[in-house]
Amino acid sequence: MFRSPDRFWILLLVLFVNQGNAGPAKQAGYYGHGKTASAEEIAGWDIDIRPDGMGLPPGNGSVEEGEYLYEDKCAECHGSFGEGVDQYPSLAGGNGTLTDVRPHRTVGSYWPHTSTLWDYIHRAMPYTQPESLADDEVYAIVAYVLYLNDLVDDDFVLSPENFTSIELPNKPNFVSDGRPDVKNIRCMEDCRDPASIEILSMVERTAPKAGQDSSASSGTTDAADAIAVYQQACAICHEKGIGGAPIPGEKNLWTKRIANGMETMVKHAIEGFQGAQGMMLPKGGFSHLSDDEVTSVVHYMVEKSQ
Amino acid sequence: MDIFISYIQGNIPTMDDGDTKAGKPLSAPDRRKFLMRSLGLVGGAAAIKPSVLSAASENLPPGVPAWSRSLGPGVVSHPYGKPSKYEEHVQRRTVDWLTADRIASISFTPLADLKGIITPNGLVFERYHAGVPGIDPSQHRLMIHGLVERPIILTMDDLMRFPSTSVIRFLECPANGGMEWRGAQMDGVQFTHGMLACCEWTGVMLSTLLAEVGVKKDASWILAEGADGAHMSRSIPMHKALDDAMIVYAQNGEALRPEQGYPVRLINPGWEGNTCIKWLRRLEIGDKPWYHREETSKYSDLMPDGTSREFTYAQECNSVITSPSPEKPLRGKGKYWVDGLAWSGKGKIKHVDVSFDGGVKWREARLTSIVLPKALTRFGIEFDWSGSPALIQSRAVDETGYVQPTYGQLRGVRGTNSIYHKNAIHTWKVSADGKVANVQIS
Repeated sequence: MFRSPDRFWILLLVLFVNQGNAGPAKQAGYYGHGKTASAEEIAGWDIDIRPDGMGLPPGNGSVEEGEYLYEDKCAECHGSFGEGVDQYPSLAGGNGTLTDVRPHRTVGSYWPHTSTLWDYIHRAMPYTQPESLADDEVYAIVAYVLYLNDLVDDDFVLSPENFTSIELPNKPNFVSDGRPDVKNIRCMEDCRDPASIEILSMVERTAPKAGQDSSASSGTTDAADAIAVYQQACAICHEKGIGGAPIPGEKNLWTKRIANGMETMVKHAIEGFQGAQGMMLPKGGFSHLSDDEVTSVVHYMVEKSQ
Repeated sequence: MDIFISYIQGNIPTMDDGDTKAGKPLSAPDRRKFLMRSLGLVGGAAAIKPSVLSAASENLPPGVPAWSRSLGPGVVSHPYGKPSKYEEHVQRRTVDWLTADRIASISFTPLADLKGIITPNGLVFERYHAGVPGIDPSQHRLMIHGLVERPIILTMDDLMRFPSTSVIRFLECPANGGMEWRGAQMDGVQFTHGMLACCEWTGVMLSTLLAEVGVKKDASWILAEGADGAHMSRSIPMHKALDDAMIVYAQNGEALRPEQGYPVRLINPGWEGNTCIKWLRRLEIGDKPWYHREETSKYSDLMPDGTSREFTYAQECNSVITSPSPEKPLRGKGKYWVDGLAWSGKGKIKHVDVSFDGGVKWREARLTSIVLPKALTRFGIEFDWSGSPALIQSRAVDETGYVQPTYGQLRGVRGTNSIYHKNAIHTWKVSADGKVANVQIS
């Protein structure tokens, strides 16, 4: 087979080099790095749900329970009727608008699968407290959002048994990627009539306002850090007064609070507080913030509001 | 001096509006000194021409600059170096009206001020769905499970023991330019095209990790999931995972930045940036896609007939001229080097053509960088500007033969509501005064 020993060695070398690359598959466990994942470890992280119901935990939740939970945990951003507050997504309505000039994409008008709703609420909602809902609470909120979209009746109870029977109306309208779907040609000369060129829309340059990178704000490092933390964690509610959060700079909202003393305000900000005007989650729900960071932001907000 | 003159003219965006008039590049004493001299020279005239100011500076010949007559800071004054203070305007920016808040939002790469094809780590555009998690790498784990023979949990140290590979690939949000579907809307190349970056990524081929866990016969999809509060997740087909997907822990020679997924992320070269899950904590191998929120409610493309395309992964061939641009106006007639970027998620850039008359005549530009598949490619062409208004466009062609389309062609098929994957030929209008505006033409 091999006319000279050289050829044999060259072939062997080629095979060896190939083995060194990622190319040919190696046996499972070839490297042996890492540890085997236990069933318990996997269960703690395996949170995904599929349209066929794979991944759904046992449990159930009713529209009625969902209404209470939704008002408490969701309506602040999504509106009591799922209409959406400010630019936070609306969850209901919009049926029949997908071919309109301004389509209104909601769970009822656009989403293809109920499982997406369960999966997303469980993995990412409420916005400031992801993975804080119990499974039954997720079932109940999903049931209520389906109810807001007129997809179930008010006595409906969602459970793994009936889950896959709830089909969302827009599912048949999802199709596969049809690209490439346009074909331009590489013309070089006389490609169009110059007289036909018309400017349809135009935007001229205006210098962007400040507030790009929070790190660039002026002042001491401490103040800059406080502003950065405020932007990242607190502005979400305090900038617009969501949930009764006092807006920095609106002095009348702060007079009483400031009168209670800095110590009380810092305590409420760190530990959370339920007042007549609204609710402050512990650290606004951003539990990774240190007490010092929260304290510095309270000082910053008070300074702006005196 | 370009930058200085720009400040005088107020063309360059600043951090603080108050700085625009201040002539930022000079220190306060320098400024006082040369303003006094200038006033002496021009007799306190209100309109001081930049050229007169420049001539008055003792930092210019025949004067000897202040920095040449003194000592500067020594080594490790900045243990981790930063760009010159005169480059402070080169930074990521956001557009607040795009999103409800800054935690689930996007910022843009300042393309006009970048050279070559590599995006510096601190300038790579950001896209978060729940802000940046503050991950301690010693407590971060990557779990791989599902239809596998050997489900595993890897530490970062484990991951770095696998064979390592580095590639230069672009990263682009599929919503890049999405604000322009109905008409010109953004006033700079940073905002029309800045959801775009290109880095050298270093890590482990996903195929290596899949071989290590032993993928079962029916496996055809992978769910990738992040450790951020959104637990950002996307379904990735097995063919991509086995082709060129990578699990990366470094960009441009250093550890991933927190904004880019520290300590580890997925990179799917040439595909929607959104599939390149950051802060990667879990890969589940399955036999069907998951249809999660970021691949149904979002990142699906609504067509005029009411259907929606799902799993529109590839970023098709695209290009833009970065100079001239609204951020880089022309300053008087004469010869200019027109500079831009082209890229394709389907492979290498083959040609880039440039038109100065709104697409009547095209000239082939020179590819001035290394040409790599699924990477930004730099092009340039000489332009002898007569001082007349011009409509400047670029049109890229990739190695599949695909020619970047016009707005008319794209809208003809997709209408104006598909948000994602807008890769139309872009037009800058140069006015007689050299200013550059974002326009769309018939």
